[in-house]
Amino acid sequence: MIFNKIPFDVIVCGAGHAGCEAALAASRLGASTLLLTGNLDTIAQMSCNPAIGGQAKGQIVREIDALGGEMGINTDVTGIQFRLLNESKGPAVQSPRAQCDKKAYQFRMKHVLELQKNLQLFQATVTALVFESGRVVGVRTNLDIEFRGRSVVVTTGTFLRGLMHIGQNKNEGGRLGDFSARTLSSSFLEAGIELQRLKTGTPPRLLGRSIDFGKMEEQKGDASPTLFAFHDTRDPEDMFHVEQTGESRLGWAPGSDQVSCWMTYTTPRTAEIVRQNLHKSAMYSGEIKGVGPRYCPSIEDKFVRFADKPRHLLFLEPEGRHTNEYYVNGLSTSLPFEVQLEMVHSVPGLENAVLLRPAYAVEYDFAPPTQLFPSLESKKVENLFFAGQINGTSGYEEAACQGLVAGVNAVRKVRAEDPMVIGRHEGYIGVLIDDLVTKGTNEPYRMFTSRAEHRLLFNHGSAELRLEAHARAHRLVSVSRLDRIRAKRSQIDHWIQEFGRRRAGSGQNGSLADAVRRQMTGGGPAASLPEDFCALGSAVQQEVLYRVSYEGYLLREERQIAKLADVEKIRIPADLDFAEVKGLRKESALKLAAFKPFNLGQASRISGVSPADISILMVMLEARRRAGEESASVPRN
Amino acid sequence: MSVLNDTIAALSTPVGTSGLAVVRASGPQCRELFGAVLGGEPKPRLATHGDYRDRSGQVIDDVVGLLFAGPKSYTGEDTLEISCHGNPFIAQKILEDLFARGCRAAEPGEFSRRAFLNGRMDLAQAEAVADLIHARSERAMAAANQQLRGSLGRHLATLTDELLDVLARVEAYIDFPDEDLPPEDRTVVQDALSRLTFGTERLLATEHYGELLREGIKTVILGEPNAGKSSLLNRLVGAERALVSPEPGTTRDYIEERIAIGPHSIRLIDTAGLNPSPAPLERLGMQKTVERASLADLFLLVLDATRPVPPLPDAIGACMTAGNTIVVVNKSDLAQPEFGGAQLPSPTVVRISALNGVGFERLRDEIAARAEAFRVDQGDEVIAINARHADALGRARAALMAARQKLEERGAAELLASDLRDALAAFGEIGGRIDNERMLDRLFATFCIGK
Repeated sequence: MIFNKIPFDVIVCGAGHAGCEAALAASRLGASTLLLTGNLDTIAQMSCNPAIGGQAKGQIVREIDALGGEMGINTDVTGIQFRLLNESKGPAVQSPRAQCDKKAYQFRMKHVLELQKNLQLFQATVTALVFESGRVVGVRTNLDIEFRGRSVVVTTGTFLRGLMHIGQNKNEGGRLGDFSARTLSSSFLEAGIELQRLKTGTPPRLLGRSIDFGKMEEQKGDASPTLFAFHDTRDPEDMFHVEQTGESRLGWAPGSDQVSCWMTYTTPRTAEIVRQNLHKSAMYSGEIKGVGPRYCPSIEDKFVRFADKPRHLLFLEPEGRHTNEYYVNGLSTSLPFEVQLEMVHSVPGLENAVLLRPAYAVEYDFAPPTQLFPSLESKKVENLFFAGQINGTSGYEEAACQGLVAGVNAVRKVRAEDPMVIGRHEGYIGVLIDDLVTKGTNEPYRMFTSRAEHRLLFNHGSAELRLEAHARAHRLVSVSRLDRIRAKRSQIDHWIQEFGRRRAGSGQNGSLADAVRRQMTGGGPAASLPEDFCALGSAVQQEVLYRVSYEGYLLREERQIAKLADVEKIRIPADLDFAEVKGLRKESALKLAAFKPFNLGQASRISGVSPADISILMVMLEARRRAGEESASVPRN
Repeated sequence: MSVLNDTIAALSTPVGTSGLAVVRASGPQCRELFGAVLGGEPKPRLATHGDYRDRSGQVIDDVVGLLFAGPKSYTGEDTLEISCHGNPFIAQKILEDLFARGCRAAEPGEFSRRAFLNGRMDLAQAEAVADLIHARSERAMAAANQQLRGSLGRHLATLTDELLDVLARVEAYIDFPDEDLPPEDRTVVQDALSRLTFGTERLLATEHYGELLREGIKTVILGEPNAGKSSLLNRLVGAERALVSPEPGTTRDYIEERIAIGPHSIRLIDTAGLNPSPAPLERLGMQKTVERASLADLFLLVLDATRPVPPLPDAIGACMTAGNTIVVVNKSDLAQPEFGGAQLPSPTVVRISALNGVGFERLRDEIAARAEAFRVDQGDEVIAINARHADALGRARAALMAARQKLEERGAAELLASDLRDALAAFGEIGGRIDNERMLDRLFATFCIGK
C-alpha cells in the first residue's frame, strides 16, 4: 500500500547518529519529515565505544550545536565522564570528550524525536527506493508499505549488505543482534550509483564484576567538565525541553557524579596468542575484502605491523550507570571466540573476565562520496541525499554532522533554495564534506585536526562564532539565541580592543595584550587581568585570551583564506561541458567531468588539476557570464 | 573590479642578454612598490629615471620606472613596469627583490588572464587568452620537469621526506593524545630541524652559484693609476683589449672581458685607477669603481712593486676579504718590495710582470681555486636554482627557523606544526603540492595508533 497521498518533504532512512540529526534538522525547519528505522529500540545506538568527542570530533560536536543540532546537548545530559584532551598542545587542538551512558543517550534522543513537531517516527526496513524520471520520489519497506517523499536522506551505516566476521564464523547484519539491509544496494546500483566495500571492527564487552580493577590504573574525569553545547547562548527552554515536558525525566545535571575509566596493557602472552592464531583471523585469512581504518587497527594488525612494541594500551570504558558492561578499547579483533577468550585472560586484571559479547569485524557497502555534490545530494539521482557511514566515514560525530547538513539541504532542495555549504575555512564540518566529495576515501574516513589547513581558527569555543552566518541564513537556531551570539561576539571584540589599549600593569612592559601573549605563548609571568574582565562568562574570557595570544597566527591564517576566497566564490554551472573548454588539457577535462566540481576552489583541489587549468576555467566562466549578460541586455522587439 | 587581491611579478622580456629587460608587476601593491624601490610619488604614465634600491638599500641598477594606474592599464589593475639593463642577473635581482617585498611569481599567462577578467579584453579575445595560458603552462611545466628530474628534484625530495617525518611526529602527538605513544623526544625533532635548515640553506646557496654559472664570476681589477691593471687584463685575455698607455688614468670608464680558466667563466672588469686626489674627469670613473666593487665576487688588487702600498677607499676596503681577494704585485721584474707593516686585505700575494708574463700561471691557479670555492659542496652534482625557487626556499627556511625557535621556547605544539606546514607548503611550490595524505601515511606507518 501507499501510506501517504501527500508526500513528506523529507524521508530519512535510518535513525543512527546521522539519521537523527537529519530528521531533527529537517523537521525543525518546518518540513514534514518521516524517520524510518529498522528498530525503534536502537535509535542513536553507539555501536562501538560509548564515548562522544575527542580529537577534532569534539570540535565537530560543538559545531553541530552551533548549527542547532542535538548531539552536544544529548551528550552533556547523558555523559558520565568528561575530559578535555590535549591541554598541553595549545588551545586550538584542545578537544572535549565524554563517556556516555549508552542507554540514557539513546532514550533521550528517542524522546526528543518523539516530541519533535513535524516529525513522524516509524519502524520498518527500507528495501528499495522509488525513482521517477531521474529523481527519488519515495521508499518501499519490508512491510510492503510504500512512503512518498519529495526528498530522501539515506543513512544506512554498516547495515548495507552488512556481514559480520568472528574468525571463520559469518553472520549477516549491520551490528551484532541486528539485521542487514540486503536489498537496498540493488536500488542504488540500478540508479547507477557505484558501491564499494569497507570494513570496521569492534572489541569484546566484559562483565564489570569479573574484572580486577585493582590491577589497573584509574582515569578520572576532569574536576570542571568541558561541555559540548553552548550553554551560555542556548535558550533555557530548548536546553532541557525533554526533561521539562517529557513524561519522564531523562538525563542529569551535566558533569555530575562522574565515573572512571581504567587502563591496562597487553602482555607478551597476548602477543603470542595472537601470533599463533593469526591464520584463524578473518582479516588475515583473506575472508574480509573490505579496507579497514589505519587509525583503528585490530590487535592482529598491531602485533604484526609494530612487532617491536612490547605492549599495547587497553582502556576499559563503562557502558552506563545502570549496567555492569565494559567496553575494551584497543582490543578490536576478528579472531575466533575461543582465541578472544584466551587473549582477554592474558591481560592483567582480566584473568577471570567474563565476555558478554565477542569482538567482531563488519564489512558493509558504501557509496564513494565523490558521487555527491557538496550539499550531499547525489549527482546521479536528484533529491537523494547521503549521510554517515554510507559516505565512507567512521565515527558518530562525523555521521551526525553530515546528517545535519543533508537534512537541511534536503529541505532547501524541496523549497528550491540554494544549499548550505560550509567552507573548509569555517569548520571541521566544511573540511570533512569537502574532503569526501573532492578526494573520496579508501578507508573509513575519520576526522583529524591535521586534516584542516586552518586548524588554529578552529578552537572548539569559537564554533558558534564561526558558523553564526550559516545558522542565521538558514534559520537553524532561534532568534533569541542569535541575539545572544551577537552580543557575545561584540563583547569579545570589545575586550580584544580593550586589551590592546590597556597597559600591562604590575611592572610589565607594553599593553595588556602583550603581557597575555607573553604568558600564553612564551611562558612569561602571569598577566594581571582586570576585575571587570574576570567577572565575564568563562566562554567569553577564554575566547578573548585565545584571540589575543594567537593574534599573529590567526591573522596569517585569515590572510591565506582571503587569498583563496576568490576561487571559492566562482561557481561552476552543473551543465558545463569540460570537453568543450578550449585550452584545457584532455586529462584535466576528463577528471573535471567525472567530479563535476561545484566551484573553482573545489576544482583546484582535485588531484591532477593544475593552476593553469583553473586559470583557463576562470577565463571561460567569465566569458560565459559576460555572454549571458549581453544576451540578457539585448532589447526585445 | 579586481578579481584578485595579490600583486604578481614576472620578467616580461625574454631571458638572456639584451639591450633592455622589463620586469612587470600588477596588483594593488604597485604604487607602494614604486615609492619603495625608486623613491617618491609615482606620476602615472610618466617615465621616472632613478636608482633601483633593494630592501637593504643597495642600488641594483639605474632603471626607468613606469606606473600605469588601474583601470587604464594592460591588466586593468595598477601596473608597474621597470626597465633595467638587459642583463639577466640584474633582472633577476629586481625580481627577487619584488618577491621579498610580497609579490608573488606570476603564473603562466596570468597578466593576460587578469586583463580579461578585469574587462580589458573583449569576449573574442577570451579564447586567445586561454590558448596563451595553455601554451605558456606547457612550456613552464616542461622546464620545471626538466629541473625536477635533475639533482634539485632529488635534494628537494630528500628534504620533503624528512620534513614529512618531523611533521608526522608532531601531528601524532597532537591528534592522538590518548594513545600510548613513546615519550616525546624533542631532540629528535631538534636534530631533524637543524638538518632541514642546513639542507635548505645549501640549496639556497646554489642560487648564487647558479648566477655564477650563467653570468661568470665577476672579478674586479683594482689598483692605483698606472699600476698595470689594463696590462694585467690584456695579458689574461691575450689581446690588446684595454687601451694601454704609460699615462696614468687612461681607463676612465670600465672595461669588461670574459675569459675561461679551467671550467670557470670569469668576467674580468677593469676599473679606473684608485686615485686619492683625482682630477674632475676621473672622479666619475672612481665613483663607478666603487659601485662595481660592491657587486664583485672576486678582487684582484694590483700593486706597483716600485711604489708603496696605497690606502684603499673605505667603501672598497669593506668589500674585500682574505677569501675574495688576491694581491697581485706587478712590475716585480723591476723591484722586490717588502711591504713591511703595510696592511694588505689578503695574505695571498702573487708576484707577476704584466710586461713579460712572469707569474701568470700561478695567478690563474689562484683564480681557479677561488672560483672553485664558490661552488657549493654538492658532490659531483651541479644545482642552480632560479629566483622563484629561491623565493620559496627562503620562505621555507624562515618557517623552519621559526619552528626551531618554538621548540626552544617550548611553544605550543600546534604552533610548531603551523610553521612546519608552512615550510612544507613552500617546498610544495617547487616540486608540486604535497597532499596531507602523505603526512598521514607517514604517521600511521611510524606510530601504532588506535585503541
